[in-house]
Amino acid sequence: MISLRSAAALLGVLLSAGAPAMAQSADELVAQNLAARGGAAALDAIESVKFDGMVIFPGDFQLTYEEVRTKAGDVRVDMALQGLTLVQGWDGKTGWRINPFEGRKDAERMSDDEARSMADTGSIRGPLQKAAMQGSTVTYLGREDFDGTNTYKLKVTEKDGDEFVYLLDPDTMLEVKMVETRRIRGALQVFEYEFGDYEKIAGVYFPMSVESWLAGQGNNRQRTIIASGTANVPAPASLFAQPASPATAPKGN
Amino acid sequence: MRRTLLLASTMLALSAPAHAQQAPAAPAASGISGLGIRNIGSAEMSGRIAAIDAVQGKDGKVTLYVGAASGGVWKSEDGGTTFRPIFDKQPVQSIGAVTIDPSNPNTIWVGTGESWTRNSVSIGDGVYKSTDGGDNWMRMGLPKTERITKIVVHPTNSDIVYVCAPGALWSDSPDRGLYKTTDGGVTWTQILKGSNLSTGCSSVALDPANPDRVMAGLWDFRRKGWTFRSGGEGPDVASGSAMKISNDGGRTWEAMDASTTKGLPKGPWGRIEAVFSPADPNRVYAFIESERSALFVSEDGGKSFEERDRSRNMVWRPFYFSKIVPDPKDANRLFKMNLNMIVSDDGGKSFANASGGSHGDWHDIWINPTNTKHIIGGDDGGLWISHDGGSKWVKSFNLPISQFYHVSIDDKDPYQVYGGLQDNSSWVGDSEYPGGITNSRWENLYGGDGFWVFPDPADPDYVYAEYQGGNIARINRKTLESRDIQPKGGYKEKLRFNWNTPIALSPHEKGTIYIGSQFLFRTRDHGTTWDRISPDLTTNNPARQQQEKSGGITVDNSSAEMHTTIYSISESQLTAGQIWVGTDDGNVQLTRDGGQNWANVGKAMKLGPDVSIAWVEASRHDPAVAYVAVDRHSFGDMAPYILKTADYGKSWTRLVGPATPGVRGYAHVVKEDRLSPDILFVGTEFGLFISRDKGANWEEFRPGNFPAVAVRDIAVAAQGDDLVLATHGRGIWIIDDISPVRALNPDVLASDVTLIRSEPVQQRIRGNGGWPEGDATYVGQNPVDGAVITYYQKARHVLGRMKLEIVDPSGKVIDELPTSKRKGLNRVVWSMRTKPPQVPPAASLAFASTQGQRVMPGTYTVRLTKAGKVTEMPLVVGLDKRAKFTTADRQAQYDAAERVKGLFVRMSALTAGLNAVKSQAQAVADNESTSAANKAKAQALVDKADALRKQVVATTEGGAITGEERLRENMDMAYGAITATEARPTSYALARVDALEKELAEVEAGFAALKAGDAAALNLALQADGVAPIDLAAVQPRPDNARGGPAAAIGSYMVGTRYTGSMSALRTSRKRN
Repeated sequence: MISLRSAAALLGVLLSAGAPAMAQSADELVAQNLAARGGAAALDAIESVKFDGMVIFPGDFQLTYEEVRTKAGDVRVDMALQGLTLVQGWDGKTGWRINPFEGRKDAERMSDDEARSMADTGSIRGPLQKAAMQGSTVTYLGREDFDGTNTYKLKVTEKDGDEFVYLLDPDTMLEVKMVETRRIRGALQVFEYEFGDYEKIAGVYFPMSVESWLAGQGNNRQRTIIASGTANVPAPASLFAQPASPATAPKGN
Repeated sequence: MRRTLLLASTMLALSAPAHAQQAPAAPAASGISGLGIRNIGSAEMSGRIAAIDAVQGKDGKVTLYVGAASGGVWKSEDGGTTFRPIFDKQPVQSIGAVTIDPSNPNTIWVGTGESWTRNSVSIGDGVYKSTDGGDNWMRMGLPKTERITKIVVHPTNSDIVYVCAPGALWSDSPDRGLYKTTDGGVTWTQILKGSNLSTGCSSVALDPANPDRVMAGLWDFRRKGWTFRSGGEGPDVASGSAMKISNDGGRTWEAMDASTTKGLPKGPWGRIEAVFSPADPNRVYAFIESERSALFVSEDGGKSFEERDRSRNMVWRPFYFSKIVPDPKDANRLFKMNLNMIVSDDGGKSFANASGGSHGDWHDIWINPTNTKHIIGGDDGGLWISHDGGSKWVKSFNLPISQFYHVSIDDKDPYQVYGGLQDNSSWVGDSEYPGGITNSRWENLYGGDGFWVFPDPADPDYVYAEYQGGNIARINRKTLESRDIQPKGGYKEKLRFNWNTPIALSPHEKGTIYIGSQFLFRTRDHGTTWDRISPDLTTNNPARQQQEKSGGITVDNSSAEMHTTIYSISESQLTAGQIWVGTDDGNVQLTRDGGQNWANVGKAMKLGPDVSIAWVEASRHDPAVAYVAVDRHSFGDMAPYILKTADYGKSWTRLVGPATPGVRGYAHVVKEDRLSPDILFVGTEFGLFISRDKGANWEEFRPGNFPAVAVRDIAVAAQGDDLVLATHGRGIWIIDDISPVRALNPDVLASDVTLIRSEPVQQRIRGNGGWPEGDATYVGQNPVDGAVITYYQKARHVLGRMKLEIVDPSGKVIDELPTSKRKGLNRVVWSMRTKPPQVPPAASLAFASTQGQRVMPGTYTVRLTKAGKVTEMPLVVGLDKRAKFTTADRQAQYDAAERVKGLFVRMSALTAGLNAVKSQAQAVADNESTSAANKAKAQALVDKADALRKQVVATTEGGAITGEERLRENMDMAYGAITATEARPTSYALARVDALEKELAEVEAGFAALKAGDAAALNLALQADGVAPIDLAAVQPRPDNARGGPAAAIGSYMVGTRYTGSMSALRTSRKRN
């Protein structure tokens, strides 16, 4: 989920810049999280990663799940049922999707706000560990009880205003919860995530269980369970580019 | 007073049992909050709002913060269309003030503790600040102020903030008055205090032209269980209330009274509210409660005043309605909160009603400074929005901040929930309903303030409900006709019914109910006659029966102060006629012979005089056992007290006291578990607390979605194990099935992970209900749809796989479920459905076939694998108890569905074969080296294969409603006809399958003929040309590993998330034609 790249060097810059005590504490936690994941070197060695599993939407609707991400930030998600595949992609510039369930198999372009969300998804590094690279602000907000676990709370504020609040498990220093606040078409959207079942892929911990829900609707969760993860899979640019639309309206074939 | 408090506390300490004094090491928290909880609302009646602030952004959107009286802070970023609670993680939920920093709209200040000091008001614990629009909060101090009515931030310096704290309601306290910070809340200085320990701040305002000019009101007030005063004890008794003004930011103050300021009334005064007009700083409006309460208006910045309006809605109940809100643009326009909000357009000379069709009892409004016709306000019935300056109002049906006092449930399946609310009548609502528990699933039954409501167990067409002061009625559920059945007093006799008069049903006789004044009454004929079965069970202290003098300067005797009354009634479920009674003046009375003889067993509790008995609860398991919740908050002691007797009240032990770890907030209710006498539930002003060891240790029940709201009552289902909570501020909540708490023995708690067995689960029938209501209404949550599997784990699961599988009776793994990771109890839901059919791919989804049919009833196995260790438990699946069909019917349905699945398998193989032949033949036809003759043969084969394929699946794409129905689509509908209900399929549904099977066989035969004919001929020709033939071997379709689910879930629930991006565009139409 979260990927890291040369964060240690960037953290070094931050730490030497005379950051205030609170910020230094945040930096230390970010560094501990980086180390817990497997370290910067292991992260740097991952050019791409592929996840296979299933996604279950609220209401208990399950589809197969396949996701590919690259170090460059591309991402593609395929979710299938009855031979029909929902696809969402981001190629670094454009976000797009295919919804075949009601008869359309041509790609549609996402709104810019939705594409920005995909762009965040596309980063293997993730908002917490790419904060230093992107000039985001990381703030330590103290300890917070999360269902009986006394976690560390960090807040990432990106330059575009999107915010990510992370809770780190004190034993493993891995993320167990995240709250994402962003605007879609000007309206605030808050999503919450819970992470678990961490396993190493090429020496780096990734959550194999991700649950997400709209804030305040924790009883309606989307659950993604990864059965297998593979690092450094082939990931050609064509995989992430929006397919061309047909010249005419699709018809029987 | 203080000395008395100390004595009482000492006595309580002396009566503590040994375990409380030498508490053993508390066992590890069991994580009971993992059971989860759901809110069923309702926002139909909503609840009291104490404070509002808002700001309009440059884009025109209004960001709104609503402070509920006892339900936290809610934020809307769309002007009130949708809300989310943003204060739920804080330790209190009573809000007195909400203020947006005028220099930074992301900085929000919240003062906790409501200042509309009615008898049921909650408490706060200081001032909070958020610098990120309410996402995170910092507690900034003033923890002992108890209540805050106003926060003002300097218009240009965010570090300067004034906090106006009326302070403690029930006791003397020095922690009240006007506080100021100049460092953003790091430190505070009390810059103005009253002349005595019962006088706090009621009003603060900064001169818009000179923010160092500060005007403040001081208010002397006190509430006791039996009286209230605003000002002194009477209209002409000395009072600490005063009005002051400072010209140096609060360093020095000058009095503003009749002796210093022309036009102000003579003292003594009560509650005071004074404001500057933002449109003209020389215009000052002041409401002053006095013997001649009125609005006073100054045209010279407060140097002199003139008395203006004294209408009823100006001067009525000043302790509850004092707020003045001047128009930001028009100095002559101002609103005054009251039962009906009133508005003046002539500087306060005259007022008109501005309440429209609202609930009434207004407390605050926000006027949009960019469009003063746009007003958002709060009253006892929730939030209201006006677009015409307050003439007409739109109610916000999206704030479930309802303030229930009590709750009961009936024995229906699903059961209905009954409860009464502060100033919002008595209601009945659904505990579950297809599509969600919308506001419309709640029905008003009566009127006034609501309290106890019970369905009549002797006649389900009737309910008993009451409004304040024991005004009980028997109400016809169908006609809503009500009949007053309140017992009446005799000659020159006054019956003292509490504001919240207790009503109790006899567990032994259907139709027998009890109600208490100072006497206990019993009816056995639905209220047609009453038997007085006790003497006066209270102290009958005349000093606490002077309610006609209550109010201080303004008399206020609404029955809220009625005292020396019976407050709680509990008849033993084990022994008929054994009745425990608690009174609001500290008595606990017991009769063991149906009321012929009574004993004041509360004396043995040795609690002293200053206590109220909030609750008495006869044990379900031992007739000698009873529990008592003692409430001393009306004496200024906010600690919980729970006591228990095991010898009919001869002696008592304290289970909970001020020093008890794990419990906080004054106690309202105590209940025993239905089956285990070890398990106790206690509701306090700050939530629900559970003991698993007879009260020796306690654990807070606080799932992430459940705030620290007052739990005033708990309903325990007579059958089943749901726990229903009446909260005073956030509506009704249900914990579905608390039975796993009983399984948390030391062995389980010591284990890494343990599956917890449950009662047999029902395959609940799924209905269709609800309809889109837009985003501006609240929908209560249903119980989860499926079998709930519960397990305990000692620590949060972070590393490694955790797998939960379902194994069918034959030993085959039929499903894998996502696991919950939290520490303590965890819950996972299994749909109890088979895999869906493997349908051939086509132009769109086969909607009925996105999910499998129900599994057959039987004993399944739950297998949990964690860190390589495997544990299992049986799970018994049964039919819905309401089902009209038999297991044999279900078997017929199951078999029919399996038959269709088999046909779909054949169809998928057929389609795969046709596609394989078609694609191979097309490749031959497209190959330049293929001879012209063979190209023609290949193309002909392509066309014939495609023609057959188009008999099987719909192929028209484009998203339009094509109505194209082929074998696949027809089979999908046949499958849906079988699986849409769970009963035996109809004969014509099965006949339809027969017909479709025949059609399928014809296409299969056609394909076989094509392969044997055209395809074989092509292959011979290709071989003659030395070209590889096409492969005619059977092709297996690619397996579909998706389990699918109800197609409606795609339309209803797909949510945008970062992990998968926005799904909103993927929705299928909820209404498909």
